[in-house]
Amino acid sequence: MSAMLYQEELMDHYKYPRNNKPVQNPDFSVDELNPSCGDRIVIEGKVADNVISDLGFSGKGCVISQATASMLTEHCIGKTAEDVMNLTKSDIIAMIGLELGPTRLKCALLSLQVLQHGVLALKK
Amino acid sequence: MDVIKIRKDFPLLSEKSDNQQPLIYLDTSSTAQKPAVVIDTLARFYTSINANVHRGLYELGEGATTQYEAVREKVAHFINAQHADEIIFTKGTTEGINFIAACWAEQHLKAGDEIVLTQAEHHANLLPWQRVAQKTGAKLVFIQLDKETFTFKNPEQFITSKTKLLAVTYSSNVLGDVWDHNRQQLENLVARAHAVGARVLIDAAQAVMHRKLDIQHLNPDFLVFSGHKMMGPTGVGVLYIKKMLHDAVQPYQTGGSMVHFVSFEKATWAPSPQKFEAGTPPIAAVLGLGAAIDYINQKINFEQLQKHEARLCSVLIDGLEKIEGVRIVGNKLWARHHGHLISFMFDGAHPHDIASILGVQRIAVRAGHHCAQPLVHMLGIDSLLRVSFGVYNTIEEVEIFIKALAQAVTVLRTTCNMQAFPQSLEL
Repeated sequence: MSAMLYQEELMDHYKYPRNNKPVQNPDFSVDELNPSCGDRIVIEGKVADNVISDLGFSGKGCVISQATASMLTEHCIGKTAEDVMNLTKSDIIAMIGLELGPTRLKCALLSLQVLQHGVLALKK
Repeated sequence: MDVIKIRKDFPLLSEKSDNQQPLIYLDTSSTAQKPAVVIDTLARFYTSINANVHRGLYELGEGATTQYEAVREKVAHFINAQHADEIIFTKGTTEGINFIAACWAEQHLKAGDEIVLTQAEHHANLLPWQRVAQKTGAKLVFIQLDKETFTFKNPEQFITSKTKLLAVTYSSNVLGDVWDHNRQQLENLVARAHAVGARVLIDAAQAVMHRKLDIQHLNPDFLVFSGHKMMGPTGVGVLYIKKMLHDAVQPYQTGGSMVHFVSFEKATWAPSPQKFEAGTPPIAAVLGLGAAIDYINQKINFEQLQKHEARLCSVLIDGLEKIEGVRIVGNKLWARHHGHLISFMFDGAHPHDIASILGVQRIAVRAGHHCAQPLVHMLGIDSLLRVSFGVYNTIEEVEIFIKALAQAVTVLRTTCNMQAFPQSLEL
């Protein structure tokens, strides 16, 4: 069906979000909004010896913003702070398997922005 | 008015994509499609007329000036302004409003004065006044919108002896009509503002393509609109300034072609409109706007257009109401009788996702806060879908849209097992 724009994996992450939980005693907790559409993502994380040991997210908004947060948290647990900071737009596009225009790209990049702000906050 | 015949005048609407799915363009409130005559006018200017205006004494330059000034006359006639020199060409609606904010309001308003707006303004008719308020100490007052009927009840109560400016939209880009159909309510409000000595600015960006504007009847001091929303090119708009205010309004920019006498130390201004049009104007775009006005005058009867668009709105509302969980934002009764746009949303399906899925099927609708965040948030919404019509839209297009929309909503409305934290975050 042509209406099935989104890949199955993306929809699966939307329906059954991974790491959609609060983190006990988090080392960082960041809550940000994309005002253009009201997408909101909260990410909490624990870091031990520079390695992301746990991540949890919550939020509201479109399929792309929420499913990307699920995929991203799954991808980043076990990675170093530098690995997370090195992630770029093209990594996210590859992760969700979708070519996005500039407007939808903002939805897809929100969770990366939130996570990177969390990691940056650690270093201060 | 033969819509099928009219459609053929618009190249983008007859062009087919690779998979032969025709474009269904339902976003005219963002920008209208352009008839071939407008597009051709742009090319013709650069191929056979190109010269600057108000400068060259050679034939080409004189010709460009004559044609440029002829469009000013055309615009004046189109909106029934008394004098052509009341028509100033700008970049668009936003520039027109910023122009009056910076070059009239900042000089004439002071602490304690009030600027009266409505709660239904586009950011373009809100942010410039926020800045004026910050700079002058004037206060913004908002005519309250009734959230049930999406109308204004007794708007005149907001006009007081402190009111120095009334700046309101003629038609909302989110809600469509917000004033009663014959504009009696708006006319009364304008008269009331004038009675207390206030000036009046009307944002006609959303009205110019759907309503016959009549300056002498409506009697604003300033009125703004964009060329691209009335099938003209982007980059050109109109600012109407009532003649008696030409001295009170300062030039927005200074520089070439707007001067009378210049010494190394100072300068005096040429009269309007030159005073308000420093530098080389968007000549090709202005001629394109002239072509759009000619096209409208020749092909469009505003009464018939209104009936056509209202019929499209009716079919759309009927279709939307068959989809479970729809919420229509705006006065439905007015839309059925004289509307040209409908905003709506669904439970459990985000507007961005819906618009993306429709986009893949070459159906163009707007999704988001429509540059009216305070209004949309006041209604308890983050994001909305909007379908807006033009002269070229058909009932068949609305039917195809409804079918695709219902399908998209079903696909998206799957159970999402999200839990919310912190507690303040509601899902």
